[in-house]
Parts: sequence; structure tokens; C-alpha cells
Amino acid sequence: MNWNVLRLLYIHEMKMLVRGRRTVVMALVLPAVIMPLMLYAQKYSVNRRERLLAGTTYRYAVTGPQADRLRILIHQTQQNLDGIPDAEVEKLRQFKLVEVRVPNPTESLKRGEIEFYLETMTGADTDKLPKETAQRRPNLFRNSTAPGRLPGVPLVNIVYSEDRDASDNGHDRVMALLRLARQRDSQLALVDHGFPGDPKELFLSDDINIATRSQVTGSMVGRLITLFLVMMMFTGGAVASMDIISGEKERGTLETLLTTAAGRSEIVVAKQLAITSVGLVITLIQGLNFLLYIKLKVISLPKDFDLQLPTGMAMTLLLLFIPLAATIASVLLMISAYAKSYKESQMYFFPVYLLSLIPSLASLMPGLSLRSAIAFVPLANVSVAAHEIMVGRPDAPMIAVTFAVMTCTAAYLMRASARMLTREELIIPAHFEAAEFLGGPALFQKRVLRWFALMWVVTFAVATNVPALATLRRQLIFNEIFVMFGAVVLMIGIYRLNVKEVLSLKPVKPAVWLAILFSIPSGYLTAIGVFRIVNVFIPAPQQLLERFSAEIIPKGMPTWELLLYISVLPAICEELAFRGILLSGLRRKLPPVALVIGIGLIFGLFHVTLYRIAPTAALGMILTVIAIMTGSVFPGMLLHAGNNALGVVAGDWFRPDILLWTHYAAAAAIFALSLWIIYRNRTPLLLR
Amino acid sequence: MNEPVVVRNLRKTFYDEGRGEIKAVDAVNFDCREGEIFGLLGANGAGKTTTLRMLSTILTPTSGTATIMGHDVVSSPQGVRKNLGFYSATTALYPRLTTRETIDFFARINQYPADLVPERVEHLINRFGLTKYADARIEKLSSGMKQKVSIARTIAHNPSILIFDEPTVGLDVLNALDVQESISELRSEGKTIIFSTHIMSEAERLCDRIAIIHAGQILACDTLAGLRQSTQQHYLEDIFVLYVKAGQATI
Repeated sequence: MNWNVLRLLYIHEMKMLVRGRRTVVMALVLPAVIMPLMLYAQKYSVNRRERLLAGTTYRYAVTGPQADRLRILIHQTQQNLDGIPDAEVEKLRQFKLVEVRVPNPTESLKRGEIEFYLETMTGADTDKLPKETAQRRPNLFRNSTAPGRLPGVPLVNIVYSEDRDASDNGHDRVMALLRLARQRDSQLALVDHGFPGDPKELFLSDDINIATRSQVTGSMVGRLITLFLVMMMFTGGAVASMDIISGEKERGTLETLLTTAAGRSEIVVAKQLAITSVGLVITLIQGLNFLLYIKLKVISLPKDFDLQLPTGMAMTLLLLFIPLAATIASVLLMISAYAKSYKESQMYFFPVYLLSLIPSLASLMPGLSLRSAIAFVPLANVSVAAHEIMVGRPDAPMIAVTFAVMTCTAAYLMRASARMLTREELIIPAHFEAAEFLGGPALFQKRVLRWFALMWVVTFAVATNVPALATLRRQLIFNEIFVMFGAVVLMIGIYRLNVKEVLSLKPVKPAVWLAILFSIPSGYLTAIGVFRIVNVFIPAPQQLLERFSAEIIPKGMPTWELLLYISVLPAICEELAFRGILLSGLRRKLPPVALVIGIGLIFGLFHVTLYRIAPTAALGMILTVIAIMTGSVFPGMLLHAGNNALGVVAGDWFRPDILLWTHYAAAAAIFALSLWIIYRNRTPLLLR
Repeated sequence: MNEPVVVRNLRKTFYDEGRGEIKAVDAVNFDCREGEIFGLLGANGAGKTTTLRMLSTILTPTSGTATIMGHDVVSSPQGVRKNLGFYSATTALYPRLTTRETIDFFARINQYPADLVPERVEHLINRFGLTKYADARIEKLSSGMKQKVSIARTIAHNPSILIFDEPTVGLDVLNALDVQESISELRSEGKTIIFSTHIMSEAERLCDRIAIIHAGQILACDTLAGLRQSTQQHYLEDIFVLYVKAGQATI
């Protein structure tokens, strides 16, 4: 890395950004101006509405046989507004009511002559109402402690029109007033009937909170701070990033820059630093904006808000937020490098932004600790770590892991961006995409990932929203036959694919079969050993694991049926889908290592439960390696079926308490030997 | 192997999802001698730009080698770019920089000695008659002026090798002649120039040697006199057509 060149490029990038009117207006001026304008406008309109509604005299009518009693109740309650919270009292004190005598209250309400009317009914009349109506109509009893309306209890209906502000507001206030009136009425009734003592003071309740105010505040702020930063960095850095590579491609200056003596890595690092700088400056501006509004009381803080940020805590947070900012800048840079134009870059930004917000919400998930697999999930780990730091319970080793994961992620993304600048189709925009016109296998390679995204969405949308498919049997039939196998058949049909070629339906050498047979128990045992080692560092909650295995292997199902649904069916359908059609679609697009990792991860994501993603992704990677080495989908099918079958039947054979480390070591050696045999007898799949 | 530019068996293959494997450049060989203008003459899509992009290290060759002043384009790309000025119709200027800033930036980024940069910038501004526009932003300049600034930025770091990839595309006659004149002047200063074009008259007027390229392959490479002698044709256009037809028959 030539630091002089890097410095020169960084200054150059910043100069270009600052001189770009579009960039300055969109990235700096608009966010700085719009936020206060929006807040002031909102505060102004809320205040004005409050004042307007407070100054309104609400016209209403009362009908029915209990009208007089209700008038007296309302009057008496208005005269004596004690025993309710202060804010409510103030609102009710300002509540000005005037009764209007109208012949037809419903018509008057429709014409806006009154804001609402109160319709009273005697208990006997209410009893005659259809049951459903009687239960639905009396909103007044909504907060009653009684489970339902008792016979003989009269009814007061507030008839109003929610689409009109004054009517809606009047309804809220009169409802509060009537609730108070009812409470007083019940208390009087209790005392009249000889209830000893004050009915309001049956017992005292109090609470003692051992968390300090600063811990409570830290918990609240810690849950949201990462989300806030991610949002600010993304929106702030987006305009700069789009201009910085996509804009350069559009203007033709990228090619000029690439022919200079500056290296690709220097160019990418300078651009990344520029995006990070702009993102941080905008985040700082927005942060100061918020502080200013809090000071000016435009934004009101919760009662007991007490944010303590000692130097150590602030430095630890900074340690995590720097790689976080670098990662976001790298993501933005990748979007910009991948897009062929400014417009295309804008198109990619929004989905990536939304996807990035999901891991940032990890700290909102109850019970999630950094000492778990979450430490290895970029963004989510910072979110959880920030929360733990801000409540004063930092986990130093896991914070170090988080820092390392984030730094590696940022570095990997930067490297990927630099590589993109060597790809002809990304540097020099093509005029048209031939595949779009030709369709067939060429288009299949472009669309295969979209198909899998759709399959993923369908699988989980159905699993979470269709109760009829909640049982294991139905869910597996739906996922494996309809989603996996169905999608494979559809893709083959739509893109006119050669079935044998695209699904790698090819025989393999006998030695491979033998190696696979050895690899089934040895691989299974090795996986248990690896899990035990990982569990030492990142312990998985035992209860959770037991619950998962109970969910996966339901009780009472015959073994043959379990083997059919858990072993045979997934092995056939998933191998055809992942190691067949997906591998075939991606093999020319990705280098072998990326192919193995990518297909493994996609396979893992289809087993969405957090503790299943990593092991299934690892299994997916091994199956992909075998499919690439053998050029066939069949050996993977056998290994997949065997592995799942052992999961069903071998629970008692491989109990951790009877296994020694020597067993695991022997199993790992046999597994490695099996893979070596497969490698020696390889008939590889044709890749790029 | 002491020639400033040496190209051996250079190939570039693209994989297009629609058309399959495309050999954009197919086993190209040529040398450029010091102080000459070497012309690459070919129709659109012949492989001229891909060849020159590999020489300027924008693209990585699929196979084969190319060296610029002894630096290999794959193993020493920065060494190549330090000794190279690359100009093409698609290499634009930064619209938000001034003329002076542009030349200054490209001199420094190409690691021209920092203490000599101001002097070099003033020299180039005077040489191309840009004094009046030295502090005007590029976006405000006419296309003729932009061409001059483009050539100035190409030679800002005083490289030994210059590549001009179809430099007159889209220019009017007068501006095109200006560019040709500048290229001639650079040859007289001892620069080695690779000049690609599909315009026969330009090749005839400027090039010391001409390589006829078609479908990614060099079909002939000689001086204009040598080409005339081997084909018994006088006009370059006829010579070109003869070689391309013969090449098509072979391919």
C-alpha cells in the first residue's frame, strides 16, 4: 500500500464529493434541514390539534330511558374529579360539554351538528338484545373486571364518528368520564351495602427495582443504538457511495483512474474511507441534531432517563462501531462497484438496506446473549454486544470475537469490491444482456438464485402462517415435494434444461460408493465431536437442544415412517435441488471455494432455526464438495440419507457419555480417508 | 526482447451467458519499437480495445504475456502503468476538477516526482494552449479543449509508452487533425505509441508499422510499403479487405 497515493486519492475523492452539488444537497443539507423541519412541523401540528380540541365545546345528545340518570352522573363526576391520574384529570377538566336537544341524533351526528350522542338502555331492554350485539356494543364495559355483562345491567352506548377529529376526541373523553362515573357508582353501591372500609384501599401494591436508572436507560439505548447507527450510516453513506463508483462508471472516469499507477487496493481503500467519512459526518450531524432537539425539548425523553457513558464503556463501543462503520461502507461500496450505473445502484440499495436492518434488531430479541453463535453473525453481534456493554455487563472475550468478525467482514467485503474492479462486465457496461433475449439455459443461470429466494420465502411464509401444515409429516411433504422437487421440475421445464446434465445424474466409480458408506458413521461421529468442541467455547442451551430434537423427531411415529420422512425424502429432494439444479446454475458464475461456501450457506438458511444453520451449512458444504468431486448427485444423496437416518436411530448408539476423544479422532481419520478415496476416484464436475 | 512493448500469444476469452465462450483476443503477437507509432487497424469488435485494455492492465489476459518497458502486465501492473499513458474515447475527465487540478492529479497519482509536478503542469498548460482555461472546471470546457486536456493528462507523468485507442472517434475534422498532430509531435519526442483505429487514412498518415487485426487475430503486421509489396495493392483499404477476407476464409 502506497500511503502517499492513498492520501492523494482520499483527498481527491473527498474533493469530488464536496464539489458535487447533488451529493452535498442529498447527503448533508437535506438530512440536516429536513429532520428539524419534520420535528417542528410534527410538534406544531400536535400542539395545534391539542389546543384546538381543548378549546372545542363538544355538542352531544342523550337518548333513552336512563337519560336523566346519566345526565346527573356526568354532572356529578365533572364536579368532583379526584382519584384519577393527573394527566387524565387535566384533560377532563378542559372537557367542555353542552347538551343539544335534537329530534334525530343519528342524522344530527351525520350532519356534524353534534359530536356524539349517548344512547341509554335499561337492563331489561339490554337483556333482550341478541347476545352477540349486547357483548359487542357495550364498549363502556370493556375495562370492567367482570368477565361479561351480568343480566339486568343497563347499557350506555356512545355513538360517534371516528373519521372526524372532534367526534373521535369527544368519544375518548366522554368514555373516560363515564368510566370514572361507573367506578364512583360501584364504590357508593359497595359502601351502601355494608362493605367495610374504603373500597379503593383493599390492599397496597408497591415495587422495588434493583436496576439503577442508568442501567435501565442503558438497556433502552443499548437496544436501539446499533439500529440507529446502521440506519444513519446507510442513508448517509448511500449518496456518496453511489457517486463514488457507479457515478464514475457513468461518467467514464473509472477507466481513466484504473489506467493510472494507483493500485486497485489503494483505489478501493480510498473510496471506502471517503464513504466511511461521509457516513460518520452525517451520523455525527444527526446525533448533534438529536441532542439539540432534546435540549430544545422538541424531543421529550422518558421520565427517569439517565444515560451514563463512562470513558471505558465509550471506548469499547467505539471499538465495535469503527469496524461496523467500515463494514457498512464496504457493503455500500460493493453495491456501487456491482452496479453498472447510478440508477442501478439506487435500485440495489433499498433491499440491501432493509436486509441489513434485520441483524441490527438482534438486541431486541429477548434472552439473546453474545456468548452464543450470534457473535459470528456480522451486525447482529454488534447489536447484542452494544446492549450488553450499555447495561454494564460487557463480555470481554466475546467482544474481542465480535471485533474480529466485524474486521474480517469489512476486509473481505473490501477485497471483494477490489476484485469487482477487475471484471470486464462491471467496469465497462454492456449495452444489452443477451441472456434476457435468448431465454433457456442462459437465462436459467441468471435466475437460479431468485428461484431459491422465492422457495425460501414460500417455505417460511407457509410454515408460519398455515396451521394445517404444522405437523412434521405435512410440512416435510410440502417442503420437499412441492417446494424443492416442484421448483426443480418447473425450472427444468421453463428453461428447457437437459435433465441428466442439470441434475448431475451420472454413475460414479464403485470405490466412491464404498467411501460414502464409510463416511456416513465416521462423518456423523466427527460432527458430534466438532459440536462438543464448539460447545466448550459457545455453549448451546441444553433445554433448547432437547426442544429442537423433540420437534425434529416427533414421538409416536413408526421408525420406517420417520426414516422415510426425515432421511429418504429430504435426501432425494434436497440433493436434486441444492447439489443438482443450484450447483448447476452457479457453477460457471462462482469460483469453487465460493461455490462450496455459498451453496452450503443457502442450504443452511433453509433450516432456519439458529442452532441448525451452522451444522446444516457445514453438511451442505461437504455434500457440495462431494458433488463437485464426483460430478454426480447420487453419492451426496446416500450420504445425506445416511446422516439423517443416524440422526433418527442412533441417538443411543453415540451418546456423548460413552464416547471417548479417541473415538472422535478415529472417526475423523476415517472420514478424511473416505474423502481422500473420493478425491482419488474423482470424475469432477465441469466448473468455470 | 529489448523492445519497449512485447506481446506474445496474448489471449482473452469471455464467457457470455447468452453466447457461450467468446475469444475476443486470440493468440496475438507483436513488438513495438522505440520511437515508432504502431498502428492496430481493425473493424469494430476486432479485438483492438480488448488488446489495449490488457496492455494497460485494465483487463487480465486469459493466457499469454505482455510486457511494457520490461514490466509484465500480470505480475507488475503498477510498473506497467507508471510507464504508460492510456487515452481512449471512453476515458473521461473528472468534470468537477479544473484543468490545472486534472493535470496535477494525474502527474502525482502516476508518481511523477512531487517537486517537479508544478513545473510539469505549467509546461503542459502552455504546450496545449490551455492558459486561459487553466482554472476553469472541465465541465465548462468545449469538446476541443477537453481533448487537449485529455492528452495533457495522458502525458502528465511523461511516460515512455503511449496508447491511443481510437482517439478521434466522435471528433470533427479539425479536432481530429489536432489530435493527430499532437500524436506526431509525441513521436518526434521519442515516445513509443500504439495507435488503434478503424480509419484507413489515419493509419496511412501516422503509423510507421500497421498490424491488421480481425476476429481477435493479427492477420498481417508490416510497414505500409511492406504491406503494399506483399499484397500488390496500393490503397490500405484494399489491403485491409484482402487480408480480412483471407482471414475469414481461414477462420
